[in-house]
Parts: sequence; C-alpha cells; structure tokens
Amino acid sequence: MPTSRSLKVVLALSLLVTVSLVGLVLFGLLRAWWSTPISVFGFVPGQVEQPIEFPHPVHVEEAGIQCDFCHRSVAKSEAATVPPLELCVACHMDLPNGTFAGMGHPSVEHVKELWEKGEPLDWKRVHRVPDHVQFMHEPHLNFFREQQGLETQQVCSLCHGDVGAMNEVRQVEDLKMRDCVDCHKQNNAPTDCVICHY
Amino acid sequence: MANNHKWGMVIDIDKCTGCQACVVACQSENNIPINTEDLVLQRRAFQWIRIERYWEGTYPDIKARFMPILCQHCENAPCEPVCPVYATYHNNEGLNVQVYNRCIGTRYCANNCPYQVRFFNYWEPEWPEELKSQLNPDVTVRSRGIMEKCTFCVQKIRRAQVEVEQRDGEAIDDEQLRTRNLNPACVQACPSDVLVFGDFNDPNSRVAELSHDERHYKLFEHLGTDPNVIYLKKIDLEAEDEDHH
Repeated sequence: MPTSRSLKVVLALSLLVTVSLVGLVLFGLLRAWWSTPISVFGFVPGQVEQPIEFPHPVHVEEAGIQCDFCHRSVAKSEAATVPPLELCVACHMDLPNGTFAGMGHPSVEHVKELWEKGEPLDWKRVHRVPDHVQFMHEPHLNFFREQQGLETQQVCSLCHGDVGAMNEVRQVEDLKMRDCVDCHKQNNAPTDCVICHY
Repeated sequence: MANNHKWGMVIDIDKCTGCQACVVACQSENNIPINTEDLVLQRRAFQWIRIERYWEGTYPDIKARFMPILCQHCENAPCEPVCPVYATYHNNEGLNVQVYNRCIGTRYCANNCPYQVRFFNYWEPEWPEELKSQLNPDVTVRSRGIMEKCTFCVQKIRRAQVEVEQRDGEAIDDEQLRTRNLNPACVQACPSDVLVFGDFNDPNSRVAELSHDERHYKLFEHLGTDPNVIYLKKIDLEAEDEDHH
C-alpha cells in the first residue's frame, strides 16, 4: 500500500509539473504574439546598444532641439532617418578655433575621433516594423501637425514615447497592427489593407 | 481616399514590338525573383507582365504578333471569392490587391485565374550577394508559400497620393504621373508607348479617352470578369482585305 500511495503522489506531482510547464510555455508564446517577448536570458525587448551613449534629455530638454532638427527627413519622406556624424560635428565644433563643445564626455570624444578619421557613426536601429509593412512618416506627422494642431514632439511621442526624456532610446509601444488600426479608425484614416501592405 | 480613383491601363497592341523592356522593368521594380533555367523548365517562372508571341500564317508569308499580358485587375475577379482568408480582394480604387501577410498559399486564386497571371513562391527567393542592395525597399520581398502578382505598382500609386495629393494638394493626372516618374515601371520603360496607365475616373486622362477607341476590347470579355486593362486591336490592312473578299 505505501508504495502505491507514493506512486500516486509522484504521478500527481509530475502531472502538475507538466501541466504548469506547458502552461508557462503557452503563456510565453501568447504574450510574445500579443505584445512583446518576455525579457529572459538578458534580452530586454526594445532596447538596443548604440555605438555611443547619446543622452536625448541633454539635447531635447536642456538645449531645446526639436525632433525634426536631427531626424531631418521625417516631414519629407517615409523614413525619419538618423543624423549623420556631420550633423553632430556641425553643432559641436567651434569652427574658428577648431575646438569641440562638450569635450571630456566619452561620447563627444568618440565623435571627434571618428570625425578626424573620417569614419561614420553606426547607429543601431531601435524601431523596426516587419518587412511587409510599409510605414511612411511624412503623412502621419503632417496629419497630426496640420489637422490636429499637435507639436512635432507630441506627434512623435504618440508612437515612440517620450524619447526626449530617455537617456537610452528604447521601444515603448508594441507597434503591432492593432495599434495602427485602432489609431486609423479613431482618426478616420483608411483601413484598406493596401495602404500599408504591398 | 479624398479622390475617387479607378486605376487602369490601355494596351495598344498595334505599337508593341515585343522588346521585353516592360518585363525587365517590372522584374527590377518589384523584387521579382530571378527566373533561372530550372524555374522556367518547371514552368514556375515569375513574370508579372509577360509578352505572349503568336505566329500568324506560314513561312514565308508569316507575321509575328505580340501581346503584353499582366493582371487584368478585374472588377469581377474570379481569384477573389475563392480565397479562404481574404488575402486577395478588390479595393475601392479598382485594384485587385494581394495581401502577402494574409496569404496562406492555397493557390486557389491562381487556379481560378483565366489569365494565368498569378505566381506562387515555391521556394524562398534568392539573389546573389551583389544584387541584394538593388532590391526596392518600397516593395515587400515575398517569402516561400506566398502568392504574388502585378500590383499596378501600388507603391508608386501610394507615393503619388502622398507626394501629389497630400504634400502638394494637387490632383493626380497624367502629367503628374509622367513628370514625377509615378507611372508603373512597365509603362515608364515602354519605348513605343504601348502601355498607358491612368485614372478612368479622370475624364481628361489618356486612358479614359483611349477606352472609347473603336479598336478597344477586353481579354476574355465573355467570361464577365470586367477587366480594368483594355486592349486596342492590331491594325492589319491585309487582314481587313481578306475579310472583305
């Protein structure tokens, strides 16, 4: 009798373990499908390591630079584009003296070093939609600016969050199709598939 | 959409020399996989637009006939109702649209298309390393298991809507399409002006005018598919003479 009882306990326990393991895996998969993957094994969703530390608050909140000053194409084309090294240098370098503003900060020194070597700054992409989605920045920015009267920074933060306050840029919104369609419906934008998928 | 468009094409068979420029232009604009000899022999070559060649008569009294065939963007498309997942549908601008991310690859649509203009990706498309940077970023690269076909270069139509209508607040007419390079790739490439693209709803467009030409006809009109591609008949004086004998 004691052997069969312990056998039952072992069986019940193993069943419990199996069920909870399967449940855990299913939960992980469903969560990854509906939102973003769970951060395990040191993977933080939406966080990317950049070649230099670029503190947005210093530039946006302290210096008061608008998003579209550096992300220049955002109102003119589909891609917002990341600024080339030359744009950093144009502000940081004091031309008559050849001195650099902000020297002593490792990022600025790295920028100066790259500039002298004539090498580009290899920014890493943070926001990426799947290949079958054709997103254009221009119409979105212009719609909210002209028809809803929002400021550039407010428009950008609709999808990108408050980047101006981020020391390290990361993705805060899921940017799943649900988000796109909800917003399109709210603003009477077309929801024809071929608007984004072609 | 602010304006009610009905995109369409008129193809003047009389001008076609069969040079295949449209085929090549389409291939590079739309990231179409390279048609290797193997694929052609398997009858799985991709040609969103193809030139069909016919011989009339027997040697030495023989004539070559050329006919560009592309998706006819039928108003009453046989491919649409057979799709179980609504991956192909008709939008309100006269386009027959294929949604790649919805497609599950049943191939019903291709089997039901009387024009044979739908192509299935039996394999993952491959390009040599040095050709990868020439892929068009505005067009999705279709992976294995996806049906694809002519889109009337919808990426250019979208660009026209954003650049002409929204940015500049102007209407999309023939002049805008031509000067801003927003015509489909095949139309732009055609050296003898066979292919004309435009908006049937715009009374001043060339397609609207040509669609009333006395030579006009539609492919397989008796099937009731009501295509948005209109053909203009070949002018053959000798053939007419024979008719009148």
